[in-house]
Amino acid sequence: MGSKNSLSKGNKWLLTAAAATLSVIAVDRLGLASSYVMFILMVGLCNVVLTVSLNLITGVTGQFSLGHAGFMAVGAYLSAYLSKMVFGLSSSGSGPASSLLFFACLLCGAALAAGVAFLLGGIILRLTGDYLCIATLGFNQIVVVALNNLEIVGGSRGFYGIPKLSTLTGLLILTWFAVIVISRYVNSVKGRNCEAILGDETAAESLGVDSFKVKLHSFVTGCFFAALAGGMLIHLLQLAHPTQYTFIKSIEILLMVVVGGMGNVAGSVISGMVLTILPEALRFSQDLRLVLYPLILIIFISRDPSRYFYKFFPARTAGGGK
Amino acid sequence: MELVIMQLVNGLQLGAIYALMALGYTMVYGILKLINFAHGDLLMIGAYSAYFLVLAEIPIGIAFVAAMAICGASAMLIDKLAYKPLRSQPRLKALITAMGVSLLIENGSRMIPFIGPNFRRFPDVVELKYFHVTGNIVLTNIQLMNLGLALFLMVVLTLVIRRTKIGIAMRAVSLDQKAARLMGINVENVIAVTFAMGGALAGTAGVMTAITYPRLSPYMGIMPGLKAFVAAVFGGIGSVPGAMIGGILMGVVETAATAWHSQIAEGVFFVLLLVVLLFRPFGLMGKSSREKV
Amino acid sequence: MALLSVSGLGIQFGGLKAVEDFSLSMDPGEIVAIIGPNGAGKTTVFNLVTGIYKPSSGRVLLDDEDMVGKKASQIANLGMVRTFQNIRLFKDLSVRKNVEIALHRLCGYSLLDAVVRSARYREDEREIREKALEILSIFQLEDKASEKAKNLPYGQQRKLEIARALALSPKILLLDEPAAGMNQNEIISLAGLIRFVREQFSLSIILIEHQMGLVMSLSERIVVMNYGRIISQGTPENVRNDPKVIEAYLGRRRTA
Repeated sequence: MGSKNSLSKGNKWLLTAAAATLSVIAVDRLGLASSYVMFILMVGLCNVVLTVSLNLITGVTGQFSLGHAGFMAVGAYLSAYLSKMVFGLSSSGSGPASSLLFFACLLCGAALAAGVAFLLGGIILRLTGDYLCIATLGFNQIVVVALNNLEIVGGSRGFYGIPKLSTLTGLLILTWFAVIVISRYVNSVKGRNCEAILGDETAAESLGVDSFKVKLHSFVTGCFFAALAGGMLIHLLQLAHPTQYTFIKSIEILLMVVVGGMGNVAGSVISGMVLTILPEALRFSQDLRLVLYPLILIIFISRDPSRYFYKFFPARTAGGGK
Repeated sequence: MELVIMQLVNGLQLGAIYALMALGYTMVYGILKLINFAHGDLLMIGAYSAYFLVLAEIPIGIAFVAAMAICGASAMLIDKLAYKPLRSQPRLKALITAMGVSLLIENGSRMIPFIGPNFRRFPDVVELKYFHVTGNIVLTNIQLMNLGLALFLMVVLTLVIRRTKIGIAMRAVSLDQKAARLMGINVENVIAVTFAMGGALAGTAGVMTAITYPRLSPYMGIMPGLKAFVAAVFGGIGSVPGAMIGGILMGVVETAATAWHSQIAEGVFFVLLLVVLLFRPFGLMGKSSREKV
Repeated sequence: MALLSVSGLGIQFGGLKAVEDFSLSMDPGEIVAIIGPNGAGKTTVFNLVTGIYKPSSGRVLLDDEDMVGKKASQIANLGMVRTFQNIRLFKDLSVRKNVEIALHRLCGYSLLDAVVRSARYREDEREIREKALEILSIFQLEDKASEKAKNLPYGQQRKLEIARALALSPKILLLDEPAAGMNQNEIISLAGLIRFVREQFSLSIILIEHQMGLVMSLSERIVVMNYGRIISQGTPENVRNDPKVIEAYLGRRRTA
C-alpha cells in the first residue's frame, strides 16, 4: 500500500519474520535445541504479544498504562480456570476437540479482559498523563489483591496443575496474529487517529477526532491481546501466582516497549524477544544479573536504542514520515 | 471505642510515615514533573544507615539526624547522576530511568554482603514505655515520638516553603521554570535542594519505620513508596498539603481496613483512589493544569 | 438565514469575565475579522465557538443548530474548523499524514477491513492519499509531503495548518493570527491565499489578526474587542475612524 519505498520496507519485515518463524519451526521439529531453549523462546513470544499490545496503548496513542499485567492476569486466570476446572482439559489430551476448547478458554479470558478494559477505560481515560498512570497502577493492584483472595483459583497459595496446552505452533499463530492486527491497526485510519492524539490531543479534537473514543478503542484492543498472551503463558508455565502479575510486571513490559521504540511495532517484536532472552543469558550469575539488567536499561534509555534500530531496519512505524 | 482510638493512633502513625514520603514525591514532581520511582528506596537507605550507626554504638538521636543527612545527600546524588543528564529529554525517559535506578538500588543492596538478602532486625534502642490515657487507652512513647516528629517536620517544611527565600524559589520553579530562571533563580540549585529535602524526609520515614517495624530488607521501601506515591496523587500531585492529607489518610484507611478484613486491606485504598479520581481528576487538592489553547 | 449566529456569548474564569456578551452573525461566503489589543478575548471567543471552552452564557447557532455543549470534535465535524495561534501541527508526523488525519471522515472501513486489507480499505486509503496530495499541491507543499511537519519553515507550517483545516471541508474556517511572524511579502501572498481559499472552497472565514494591512484589505466586516467585549463593529472604513477603537489601541489623548 502506498509508495514503492514503503512496500519494500514492509516486505523486508515480512521476509525477515517469515524466515525467523520457519527457522524456529525447523529447529523445533529437528530437535536441534533443548527444551529449555524452546521454552524460553515460547515465553519470548508471549512477551512479544504483551509488548506489541502495550505499545498500541502507550506508544501509539500515548496513554501511559501501568496496569497491563492486570489484564494479562485476567486472561490468564479465567482461561486457566475454564480449562482446568470447567472443561477438565489435560496436558496429554490433544486433538481438535481439546484445541478448540483451549481456544475457547483463551477467548473467554480475552473477552472478559476487554470488558473490564472498556469499563475501566470509561472511568480513567479522561485523566491526564500522570494520573492515568497511577490509576492503571491502582487497577493492577486491585486485581492482584482480588486474586489473592479468590480461593477458587488458589488465592495467595497460587494456582497449580494447569494443563500444558500452549504449543509452539499455537504461540507462533498468536504472535503473528497479534503483530499483524496491531500493525495494520496502526496503518489504518484508527492508527492515524491514535497518533494524532499522541501528537496533540487538542488539535486532533479540533479536526473532528473524538479523542475519548479513540483512546478507549485502542485501550480495549491492547488489553484484549494482553489477556490472550496471559492465557497462553499460564498454559505454558502451568502455574500462576498473583505476585507474577503486579505492577512490577507491568513496568517490565513497559520497559520492553520503550527499548523497542515507542510506537515502533517492529521494534517491539525485537525488544520483546531480546529482553526475554537477555536475562536468561545473564543467568550465569543470579545476583549480578539483577544488577546488570537495570544498569543496561538505564544506559540504553539515555542513548535511545531505537536510533540503532532505524539504521538497520527502517521501521514501518507510527509517526515516521513516509 | 477505646480500641478504635488506639487503632486510629496506629493509623495516624503509619500515615505520618506515608505523609513524609508523599511529601518527597510531591515536591520533586512539582519541580520536575518527574515521578521519582527511586524515592521509596531512600526509605530503605535511611533505615539501613541508622541500623549501622546504631550498631556502631552511636546514640539513636544522632543516628537519626545522620540518616536524614545521608538520605538527603543520596537523593541529590541520584538526581545529579541519573536525572540531570535527561533534563531536556522527554519526561518518559527520566521516568524509565527512575525505575531502573530503583531496581539498581534494591538489587545492588541485596548483593552487598553486609546488607545482604536476609532480613535484619533493628535493635531496640528506644525503650518501649506505655502511657495510660483516660480509661483503657494505651499509647506508646514510640507512637507519640513518631507523630510528634512528623508533625514537627511538616510544620517546618510548610514554614520553609512559605517564608524562606529558598521556599519561594522552589515554588517559583515549580510554577514556571523559565520565568524563575529569568528572575535570577539558580534552578539547578533549587532542584538539588528539593531533592535533598525530600530525601531527608524519606530518611526520617526510614528511621521511623525501622524503630516501629524493626524488620529491614533491601526491598522494604517498595510498598511504602508505592503507597506514599498513590497518597500523593490522591491528594493532588504537586500539592504539599495534599501530600500530607493523602499520606495520613492512606495510613488510617490501611490500618482500619487491616483491622476489619486484612486480606483486602491493600486493595481498599486503590479503590478509593479510583473513586476520587472519578470525581476529582486532579486529586483532592490538585490544581487542574489548564492548558492555554 | 445566517450561517452562523452567535448571541450573548460569555465566559468567566473565576472572577474574570474573559468574554462578555459577544454576538456575531455571518452569512455564507463572508470574511469577518476580529481585532483588538492582546488579552481582549479574541482567542477565547474562538475557543468558545469551537467547543474547547464551555460558555457560561449565550448561544452559538451553526445552520440553526446550537453548538453549545457539543464536544469540540462534534463541532469540527459539523463544519467549524480552526487553526491555532501557536500552530498546533502534529510535529513528529509527516506533512502528508497531518492532512490525512483530517480526512478521517472519508474512511468508511472497519478494523476488520484494515486487518485483511480488503478492497474497501485499499480504495479508501487510496482516496485519502490522493485527496491529501491534492490539497497539499494547492498550497505548494506536495514536494514536502514526506517531511516531518516540524522540519518545515515557519511560513509553510502555517500553510500546512490551514491546508489541514480545509481538508475537513468546513463551512466556516477560523484563522487565529495566520500572519504572525510573517514578513510583508509573505503577508501579501497569504492574503491572496485566503481569498483563493474562500472562492475555491466556498466557505466563510473568521480571522483574528493584528496585521492591520491584512485585515483592512481582506475583511468585509470587522469586529473590535477590548476587555472581553465588543466595542465596535462595521466596515473597515467605519471601524478605522471609530474613536473608541482608536482609544483602545492608542490610548486617550491627554490634554495637558
